[in-house]
Amino acid sequence: MSNNWPRPEPSLVTVWVLARRELHDALRSRWFALDTLAFVLLGLAVAFVSGSGTGEGLAGFGRTTAGLVNLVTLIVPLMALTAGAGSIAAERERGMLPYLLSQPVSRWEVLAGKWLGLSLALSTAILLGFGVCAMAVAWRGGTSQGASQLLLLAGLSVALAIGLLGVGMVISVVSRRTSVATGLAVFTWLLFAFATDLGLMASTLTWRLTIQSIFAACLVNPLQAFKLWALDAAGIPLDVLGPVGQYAVDHHAHSLAWLAAGSLAAWAIGPGVIAAIAFSRRAAA
Amino acid sequence: MILFGLVVLAALEASPSVQAGWSDLAALVAQAQPGDVVRVPAGDYRGVVTIDKPLTLEGVGRPVIHGFGKGDLLLITAPDVTVRGFDLEGTGDDLDQENCAIRVLAPRAVIEDNRLEDVLFGIDLRGAPDSVVRGNSIGGKPLDIARRGDGLRLWKSDRARVEGNTIHDGRDAVLWYSEGVEVRGNLVKDCRYGFHLMYSHGVRIERNELRGNSVGIYLMYSDTVDLKDNVIAACRGASGFGIGLKEVSDYRIERNLIRDNCVGIYMDSAPFRKGQAEIRANALVCNDSAMHVLPNVKGNTIVDNAFIDNLSGIVPLGRGDLYANAFDRDGAGNFWSDYAGYDEDGDGIGEWVHEPMPLFGRLVEQEPKLAILRFSPAEQVVEFVARALPAMRPDPLFIDENPRTRPGDEVALAWRAGREAGAGESEEGGRGALWAAAALLVAAALASSGGIQ
Repeated sequence: MSNNWPRPEPSLVTVWVLARRELHDALRSRWFALDTLAFVLLGLAVAFVSGSGTGEGLAGFGRTTAGLVNLVTLIVPLMALTAGAGSIAAERERGMLPYLLSQPVSRWEVLAGKWLGLSLALSTAILLGFGVCAMAVAWRGGTSQGASQLLLLAGLSVALAIGLLGVGMVISVVSRRTSVATGLAVFTWLLFAFATDLGLMASTLTWRLTIQSIFAACLVNPLQAFKLWALDAAGIPLDVLGPVGQYAVDHHAHSLAWLAAGSLAAWAIGPGVIAAIAFSRRAAA
Repeated sequence: MILFGLVVLAALEASPSVQAGWSDLAALVAQAQPGDVVRVPAGDYRGVVTIDKPLTLEGVGRPVIHGFGKGDLLLITAPDVTVRGFDLEGTGDDLDQENCAIRVLAPRAVIEDNRLEDVLFGIDLRGAPDSVVRGNSIGGKPLDIARRGDGLRLWKSDRARVEGNTIHDGRDAVLWYSEGVEVRGNLVKDCRYGFHLMYSHGVRIERNELRGNSVGIYLMYSDTVDLKDNVIAACRGASGFGIGLKEVSDYRIERNLIRDNCVGIYMDSAPFRKGQAEIRANALVCNDSAMHVLPNVKGNTIVDNAFIDNLSGIVPLGRGDLYANAFDRDGAGNFWSDYAGYDEDGDGIGEWVHEPMPLFGRLVEQEPKLAILRFSPAEQVVEFVARALPAMRPDPLFIDENPRTRPGDEVALAWRAGREAGAGESEEGGRGALWAAAALLVAAALASSGGIQ
């Protein structure tokens, strides 16, 4: 460890103190304000534009839900990745990291505290966004949109955000500057949101992938895992998603939620551990 | 002594009241003279009862005919029989025997106001022309779909009328080799095929509601069919077609509301022969695909329809386009909710043509497995690329020269009818729950922010 002071044992109390500080900082930061605003505005737009009032009440499943799923898979990972990427790198750039680590706290506690604080901040932004969206839908009234669907979707979006926060923190730990970290985060987001799907599309067309392997590939991608989970949980018939969706219905009707949750959990834990290891090996400044 | 033993055994087999009732009904039929009106008092009766002379059997206080899970219930072998006001329960479940609640083997039967529950086949008209099936409720057995029977079946029964019946949880409602049949105001739900026509010409199907079946209405090998003012919803699964057309000729499909199906209208060799083939003023709403069309489909007039919020619009299966079909007539086409143009002179007709060229849709058609990427950002990227790069742009599937910028008046009628029909589908009362959800979400947000530190 980097300092020689006698320290108390690593404790959850310390983590909680650090998390509160992180949350406090995050709620006052510009990224949080902008993210929340963007999420709320886009959610409103989806609520109002989906079905544009015409299909209202006639869709068997909520087009608003489908639109929100689309929005969430795009925006939430970007929020989570950039938030995570800013965490350690920003402290380092401002010269705060050596100061922080000179306190009687372990690196593990610092990282865990930041992760927890950012998770709470992201949850706040997402839940607020969904809350406003729910109000908008209720105010418009008379849609086929279930309240429970929105609650579910909000919960799953929080899970998606937490699932990708660890990846952002890996980026943050290995980056020396905030700008580099943010750039890497955006690049990673592009990979997750577009490149993997386009790659899957190309390989499906080129190599005639089997339905099972496409399903597996979708589950590995946290965004697709979230999408499958969210559509399924919202009661949208997965045969909308063609043969692979039908396969999911036929063979994984009961396990789909667990598989998707497992995927997101793996993405939350794996990169989190990597971030912790990388952080413990790097110099503070 | 032996004789006495048999009687005791028979008495043990059937419950006493049933045994009493059973002999009653057969006796009533036996005693009656042709042309009589037999009033059957309330009570429990046992099938099968054969009606072999022209009679009117009228249930007073809803007598019940039981089958106890074996055989048929009512067999009508004479013409001009009327059966009204009975409850029929529990046929056998033998598909080979086609166990049936009411089987009619003679012309001019009237089957009215009966309630059939737990039946394999419901009402089976075999060679019963000029019959009427009206206001019955037919409920199938809770079996796997392949082991169910047909709720309603017409076989060589010309000019039959099927009106105001409710059929649920059966296999199909079948109209085969029956000409000039009129089907009005029925509700068919949770079956396999709503109405299935084969070799039945001159049929009119109007104001029916078909919900939650695998296929709504399948028209096969039939000529001169009118499909009007029906509501066809929630046909899902591998062959989830709202309306299927196969080798049909001379048809008019008008003012139907077709919503929330996997495929709104599926077309194969339609029209089979040249002639009238009109699909007009229908509302196709929120289907996965509005229409699937095979390459052999030519000569349709598809006008005045409203295509609203379908995931895919009209999809040609197999390679090809739809240029051999007309999408406008007399300067007016269809309404497309994904129309990208505008109406400058305010005449309700867009100034740009509507020529859909979905690249992602084309890719999905080429490789259906790609549909897994629906609702994901990659889908939009592909469509964006198709618009931005002319080299990637697929040819348009068809061109609507005069797209409407608002749905036509007749579509609005179909619409209103459909909304009324679907009113019972539990959409009300969601508003309060939504406000509650909003409050809950905001509260959760505040909680996770630590009460705004």
